[in-house]
Amino acid sequence: MKPPKHVTQKRRRAAVGVVLALGLIASACSKDSSSDTTATEAAAEATEAVAEATEAPAATEAPAADTVAATEAAVAADGGSITVAIVDNPTMKDIQTLTPDNFTKQTGIKVNYVSLNEQTLREQVTKSVGSGAAQYDVVMIGPYEAPQFGANGWLQDLTAQATADTAYDVADIIPAVKGALSNDGKMFAVPFYAESSFLMYRKDIADAAGVKIPDAPTWDEVAAAAKKMKTADMAGICLRGKPGWGDLGASLGTVVNTFGGTWWEANADGSIGKAQVNTGGFKEAFNFYTQLLKDAGEPDAANASFNECLTLMKDSKAAMWYDATVAAGILESADSPIKGKLAYALAPTKVTKASGWLWSWALAMPAGTKNTDAAWKFMSWATSKDYIKLAATLPGGWAGIPPGSRTSTYSIPEYLAAAPSFAPRTLAAMLAAPIDNPGTTKRPGLPGVQYVGVPEFADIGTRCTAELSAAIAGNQSNDEALDKCQAIASEVSK
Amino acid sequence: MNAVTTAAPSESPEQRRFSPLRRKQWSRRLPLLPALSFTIVVTQLPFLVTIWYSLHRWDFLKPGSFSWTGFENYTKPLSDQFFRAAVWHTVLITVGTVVIACTLGTVLALLLDKPFFGQGFIRTLLITPFLIMPVAASLIWRHGFLDATYGFLNWIVSSLGFGRTAFTSKFPLFSVILVLVWQWTPFMMLIILAGLQSQTADVLEAARVDGASSLQMFRSLTLPHLRSYLELGALLGSIYLVQTFDTVDQLVGGAPDARNVPYYIYQRSIGGGWKFGQASAYGVVVVVATIVIANLALRLISTLLEDAK
Repeated sequence: MKPPKHVTQKRRRAAVGVVLALGLIASACSKDSSSDTTATEAAAEATEAVAEATEAPAATEAPAADTVAATEAAVAADGGSITVAIVDNPTMKDIQTLTPDNFTKQTGIKVNYVSLNEQTLREQVTKSVGSGAAQYDVVMIGPYEAPQFGANGWLQDLTAQATADTAYDVADIIPAVKGALSNDGKMFAVPFYAESSFLMYRKDIADAAGVKIPDAPTWDEVAAAAKKMKTADMAGICLRGKPGWGDLGASLGTVVNTFGGTWWEANADGSIGKAQVNTGGFKEAFNFYTQLLKDAGEPDAANASFNECLTLMKDSKAAMWYDATVAAGILESADSPIKGKLAYALAPTKVTKASGWLWSWALAMPAGTKNTDAAWKFMSWATSKDYIKLAATLPGGWAGIPPGSRTSTYSIPEYLAAAPSFAPRTLAAMLAAPIDNPGTTKRPGLPGVQYVGVPEFADIGTRCTAELSAAIAGNQSNDEALDKCQAIASEVSK
Repeated sequence: MNAVTTAAPSESPEQRRFSPLRRKQWSRRLPLLPALSFTIVVTQLPFLVTIWYSLHRWDFLKPGSFSWTGFENYTKPLSDQFFRAAVWHTVLITVGTVVIACTLGTVLALLLDKPFFGQGFIRTLLITPFLIMPVAASLIWRHGFLDATYGFLNWIVSSLGFGRTAFTSKFPLFSVILVLVWQWTPFMMLIILAGLQSQTADVLEAARVDGASSLQMFRSLTLPHLRSYLELGALLGSIYLVQTFDTVDQLVGGAPDARNVPYYIYQRSIGGGWKFGQASAYGVVVVVATIVIANLALRLISTLLEDAK
């Protein structure tokens, strides 16, 4: 039975009343004396989304729950513990497993890990380190951030501590990596692992297709090989197409370099000059990249990055893969279905001699850290020769150790035995990475291969690669994407 | 209050303070004060600070860049093609979702209005999407349904003999609206169902006796009756949908073709741009525009206002 009319009227009013009580729309309709206050309330509610983004400068937003827990623990233990922000990848899972029974047992220092994905890590670390908050005692950053943050005075100079510690053997760190983590002769971070990029390909598929890939191939040779190796079930090559300066930006960046392109011209004083995105080598490289993906690339390339290509390789759905050298350790691990079927070549080139990128996940100490002794003890342990040996005791074995950080790693007999196909190639790629002169023209800012060493780059690179990725997906033409990208890059030109 | 002062001009201030009307007003205001002050602290103070920031150049990655620029930041939004695109996408996402969700919600509500076996169970199932967290919903759709290789929707599409489609990268705006419609249809359905159930049976019976067809009854009686409920649903839906962030971020990763204003402002600030002054100016512009548009919209929705009086 339906309720009588006057009751339903009341109900209707009540429903509308709920809206008013929410304070969402009260301003326009209420007529009593409090209408001014409710007007501002309504405005506030309606714009909450905006406020969320703009409140951040005040640094009032609550940190993630795990961060709080970790920080509290750090205070409670009275200097006997440190908080470390790390990136959540498999190699970092290993160190979390190994820390309590080794580092904590030896030194009594408890380590609280805050494990974050790459994007969140960058946001958290930049915010915390840049505002001088002592939220983390040690942070994980890369060669893009280390010299810039160091130059800003946000990080502590580690040179003295690292040199004084003879057992640490700072000279053993691969020079290109050490250089990339330093600015003005000061070392601002120590590498946990480091990588270059190279070409990984299926030897068996190449042989069957009658393709011969040289040790130092050109991009034209790789494109021809990809087309020959492509079948209905198998992509000829897997390349990154996902937006992000560290995703598509990294792979494409090295191609742009070797095609003689650049993001910006450099002014005489090293500042950012005119954007060069929709012309010359950049345009040529991007057209080549998208054509190669169209001819022989993986399906849904606009969504693919490291993890997606890794899965395709393991499932035998891609014949070649141009990506980070650390991938080899995973493809060749004991449980990999394609173990032993792979061969490796240096990063393909066009007009430059070498094109591989250079990246490292490294540990740095924010300027605000109080607990510097404990922090350095942890950093030197995590990046020591001994830790590399310790990591080999895990189920992944020698093939899964943190690679690319130290020269001595590549003279450990057990490692060379476990990784005969890719260990020497990785070292060769690391040494060949053209960190100081990546392309054919002078670059603005600090040295960098797959990125430009200026603070604006991360933002420009990410927004730009989103446009380029949309072109890879086929939502806009290459020229449209490059023109938009040129507009984005021109925002910072001087 | 005027009445009080004119009627008894000789009253002392002491007497006036405790006049019955004042007391009555304060007895209504007092319980609201804690909530009001909380609201001011968490919304109005940050907003004032935002206005202050918007008048400065503040590039977080360049220490020492904080400097007064006046209204320079406010000249940017008009000339920024990406901001204009973001505004357009916000409009498309909001209007598209509200219209489709209201339509589907009405259809579902009409089906659910008449009793049938398992009605309660079906109603619960239909409400479920609204109870799922937006981030979880986005991830389920991205990986479970729309993914080119593993997605359920693509499994259906390819079983029917069509090529697999990378929905989230090829049609990002469509994907966002699809997931938002999925989430918001139950909400619209609930509001409209409440409207249907408040419709008196005798009017419908009379119409039927007079020989009206079902369609005629729906168009001439039910739909006008539902008008204020549809307006309420559209209003509440719009207020929440304008702020959509989770879906744009998690489902399509902020793809340029689906990037809306909240995501763009995030991207200009902590999302990588670190230009707090400029992002604040964008925020202020959006706040002002939203207030203007919301007031215009409210005036258009006349029935809702009449009811509230």
